[in-house]
Amino acid sequence: MNPVAIPVLHSAVAIMTPLLLAAMGGLFTELSGMLNIALEGLMLMGAFASIVFTHFTGNMVVGIALGVLASMLLAAILGTVTLHLKSNVFITALAANLFASGLTVVLSFKLFGNKGVVVFDGIASLPRLDIPVLAKIPVFGDIFIGHNIFVYMSWVLLALCAWVLYRTPFGFRLRATGIHEQAMVSLGMRPSRYRFIAFLVSGFTCALGGAMLTLNLGAFVPNITSGKGWIALVVIFLGQKKPIGLLFAALVFGFADAFSNYAQGAWNVPADFILAIPYVFTLVAMVLFSIYTSRKNRVE
Amino acid sequence: MVDRMEKRRVTIVATLRNSIGAVVIVGIALAALVVLSLLLSETPMKTLRYFFLGPVQNTYYFGNMLNMAIPLIFGGLGVSLAMRSGSFNLGGEGQLYSGAFVATISALALARWGSAGVVVALLLGTCTGGLLAALSGVLRMKWNTSELITSFLVSNAVVLVVSYLIAGPFMDPATNLIATRMIPESFRFTRILEPSNLSSALFAAVIAVLVVHLYLYKTKSGYELRLFGLNPRFAAYGGIRTKWYQVWPMFLSGAFYGLGGGMAIFGTYYACMKEFSTGMGWNGLAVALIARHRPGAVIPAALFFAYIESGARNAMLHSDVTFEIASIVQSVVFFLVTSAVLQKIGSVQRRSV
Amino acid sequence: MEHAVEMRGIVKIYPETGLRANDGVDLTLNKGQILCLAGENGAGKTTLMKVLYGLEKPDAGTISVMGNPVSITSPLQANRLGIGMVHQHFMLVDDFTVAQNVTLGKEPLKGRFSYDLKGAADAVDAVIRKHRFSIDATKRVGSLTVGQKQQVEIVKMLYRDVDILILDEPTAVLTEQEIESLFITLRALAEHGTSLILITHKLHEITTISDRVAIMRQGAMVGDFPTDSVDGKQISRLMMGQSVSLVVDRLPYTPVQHPVLRFDNVSVLKRNQQRPLLNGVSFTARSGEILGFAGVGGNGLGVLEAVLGGFLPISSGAIVHKDEDISRLDSHALRKRGLAYVPADRLQVGSALQAAVSENLIVDARNEFSRHGVMQRKKIEQHAQSLLKTYSVKGSPSMPIGTLSGGNIQKVILAREITQYQDYIVFSEPTWGLDIASSRFVYERMVQLRDEGAAVLLISSNLDEILAVSDRVIVMYRGTIVAVLESEELRHVTKEDMGAYMLGLRQQEAPHG
Repeated sequence: MNPVAIPVLHSAVAIMTPLLLAAMGGLFTELSGMLNIALEGLMLMGAFASIVFTHFTGNMVVGIALGVLASMLLAAILGTVTLHLKSNVFITALAANLFASGLTVVLSFKLFGNKGVVVFDGIASLPRLDIPVLAKIPVFGDIFIGHNIFVYMSWVLLALCAWVLYRTPFGFRLRATGIHEQAMVSLGMRPSRYRFIAFLVSGFTCALGGAMLTLNLGAFVPNITSGKGWIALVVIFLGQKKPIGLLFAALVFGFADAFSNYAQGAWNVPADFILAIPYVFTLVAMVLFSIYTSRKNRVE
Repeated sequence: MVDRMEKRRVTIVATLRNSIGAVVIVGIALAALVVLSLLLSETPMKTLRYFFLGPVQNTYYFGNMLNMAIPLIFGGLGVSLAMRSGSFNLGGEGQLYSGAFVATISALALARWGSAGVVVALLLGTCTGGLLAALSGVLRMKWNTSELITSFLVSNAVVLVVSYLIAGPFMDPATNLIATRMIPESFRFTRILEPSNLSSALFAAVIAVLVVHLYLYKTKSGYELRLFGLNPRFAAYGGIRTKWYQVWPMFLSGAFYGLGGGMAIFGTYYACMKEFSTGMGWNGLAVALIARHRPGAVIPAALFFAYIESGARNAMLHSDVTFEIASIVQSVVFFLVTSAVLQKIGSVQRRSV
Repeated sequence: MEHAVEMRGIVKIYPETGLRANDGVDLTLNKGQILCLAGENGAGKTTLMKVLYGLEKPDAGTISVMGNPVSITSPLQANRLGIGMVHQHFMLVDDFTVAQNVTLGKEPLKGRFSYDLKGAADAVDAVIRKHRFSIDATKRVGSLTVGQKQQVEIVKMLYRDVDILILDEPTAVLTEQEIESLFITLRALAEHGTSLILITHKLHEITTISDRVAIMRQGAMVGDFPTDSVDGKQISRLMMGQSVSLVVDRLPYTPVQHPVLRFDNVSVLKRNQQRPLLNGVSFTARSGEILGFAGVGGNGLGVLEAVLGGFLPISSGAIVHKDEDISRLDSHALRKRGLAYVPADRLQVGSALQAAVSENLIVDARNEFSRHGVMQRKKIEQHAQSLLKTYSVKGSPSMPIGTLSGGNIQKVILAREITQYQDYIVFSEPTWGLDIASSRFVYERMVQLRDEGAAVLLISSNLDEILAVSDRVIVMYRGTIVAVLESEELRHVTKEDMGAYMLGLRQQEAPHG
């Protein structure tokens, strides 16, 4: 294989992981019939809380666990306000995003006296795993090995998601809620309960995605998620709301990102343009996808 | 005569009852602020004093607060128009920023045109914002691509491109700021409440509210736009050109953002600084939501937001909290503003009376 | 005989409207009995049954099941008490299989967490066999016919071991043949000891299936008899308060009229669809006649409506109006040419519920009420006032139309479309969900238009309505015309004949309308 392609693809696999994690949780809310644009905020919350708690407890596992808890708390607030106070999920999710971006800066200022980048020196880098079996995959073997633990965890979680959604009563009820809410009501089940759990799941996976961003960097940067939660939403649509689809859609975006990083180094393109590439790429992908679906449904 | 008085009384009472929900929401948001100050500030009373009284303590701060409301009014009108037609415009950030940028460089290019140049430059900025939003409308019309997501994506990309242009080809080498050159004196709006930043753009904002109100409720196009927003299938059934109303309101929406951006430059900043408008687009959206897409209610909603922002700024200057505390208060408003349960508070009371 | 269900003094008031949907209603159901709960729309039948099924909380009253006083707060609890309900609108998830739909909420497990998909299919299959249904437990529900979907709904309840089964207007969407087989199933259930309540307002169904009939009117129980002790007239009088006839006075049908609207071999194809939605449809609608289109849901009536309204482009053929090809025109252009049409879905298509009545009334005549792009408020107001008066609509021009009753909303739509019509007008399911008095109002207007010389196209899945008012009838099956009945044939055609055409059991040779 092309010597450039391997490192680019290798980093694509790493870059796609936070997207995949966030999209997984978003898949639960999406299938339950809610457009959850709060993935961004939930990720940010998890990103900030994970590294801060890791810093204060000195233990990465505890830090991540507390970070997940913080993000799930925000998801619970979002769920309660949306489902019980009967608010528009779109607006409340926007609120969650605003809340997360405000709170992280306010707390960062309060705790570290700094509204900008906060570097945490004492934090060890994420453990890396070498799984020899993966290296034996022909041609692509090299791009799957030597990643940090989040990458492999995301694959396990994806399999778990698929199992929950398609092989458990909960999964069927959740999907039924999204497709035909009244059918659930008529059998005495409460759709809001399943939606609430879906919000919690999205809080859980988004927090992991966010945690990977900060812990990998050893620092918190304001709005470190920089639109990843939104792209995760697009990943869900492009992945046709199927777990395996998410994997491929996320990989496409990971590749776009990895490629633009490479381009920046290799061709000296201005940084702002590089940062714009994922958005443009996502846009083009969305448009192509909608052309495809509208063609499919068109009358001949 | 008595009948008319009675009718008016009923209307006023109904309006007041309808506002109870809004008052409760504002109350909860302000309560959240008090709690935040107690938690975050070493000197909570001082913080709260600056937050609440700062914006109205003198003409300088008061004028600045009003000035802050101007782009929010334009943005709020823009979003209201889109929402009324059933479209979501999440691209306010990019539309406002690029509108401001195009208005600025047009002003620089048309320096010798005088007041005609002002109009042309603002128009160009307006169209820039409008066309960016209209792009999402066209994508929705042609292929049913969610305009909510595309407007957001386009906007994010555009913000970065504009920032590149400001920092690169259009940067003023004479200053240390990352900004374009200053627009000519003749392009700047008159200040109306010295020493504050408030300019005559305020009048333009008020006129814009009036125009949007008349457009929505008194014209045929406004009628068609509203009906399309209320029920697109009904609109199609009634022979309203539904394709047009997927694009035109988006254009108007972006246009108002673009105009707001131009107004901010000509009235306040005089040069397009990198990322000067961060947050204004989102706040315009918030304003429209609180106003529930009614143009008349955009002004008080914008003032409320400007009050919170300038309160936070004051508290930051004079006390020990950071400005982003405003985002948290705003998010509390967002969380509650569409709640059907809270909105019912007024009507529940009606029954018990 | 012990009572399966005994409801006493049930009161239910809807807080939003203050409507007393049930006002002290008593109802008893004996074991193994089939009870028909009859009444007009809005009489409170469905509300009463929702109370029994735990979907609505009564404001007063008591319920006992099998002699034990109970309070039913959720469908789940109703199921536990052995009560099941089949709703008028199917509560089915199209993407799931029959077994997955049936077991939803009561799934068999494999281990502690895993859904036993195989076990579910077997269990559901056992229920299907036991009651001799004709559905496959492993099929996707989306691919089933309406009749089969209803079987799924019934199996769903039987799987839950209910011995009291409520069916809300089970025959509304079925053909005569499907109704017959449903009734056989229901009788077999009753013989096995299941007690059944059928909500219906169709007289002949009451007399065919039920042991007892209970009649409601305006929230109150007005009669309760063994079915063999009453006749149809008595029942209908109790239902309506007075006897109302469906027959409308009209001029005799004169076959010398000129053609207004012609379909020439019109087909609509959709990608990824095995068969065309419309397949070579040809007919001519003439002035001074009511041309009825009959068919079972899903056989092209809805597609025909969409094509006539300009929502769905045709793939081949031509539509000709007054010698001009209008095949390619969209709804905007068709409206300009004078299309007038009352859509089947009056809430989603025919009105904007939050907009004022006056705004709803001018949607297709916007240009007449504006000058230089500015709306003429006074003129709009007056227009609305006069139409509301002419059509005796209970409401005012400035009220949101959504606050009106169903019958009044339909009157507003009729007023608007009749004002707008030039030479042809389309009615799709015009009396769906309306009570007899409102339906009669609609029929009178249709006949009046026809007598004035309009070409009236009536699309309806209600066979009684088709036979009552049409001058000629076209029967659709799977997107094609299978029969055309001229006015003299209509006089002696039976419902069974019509049913055979509608189900595709019989077909005319080369029908041409």
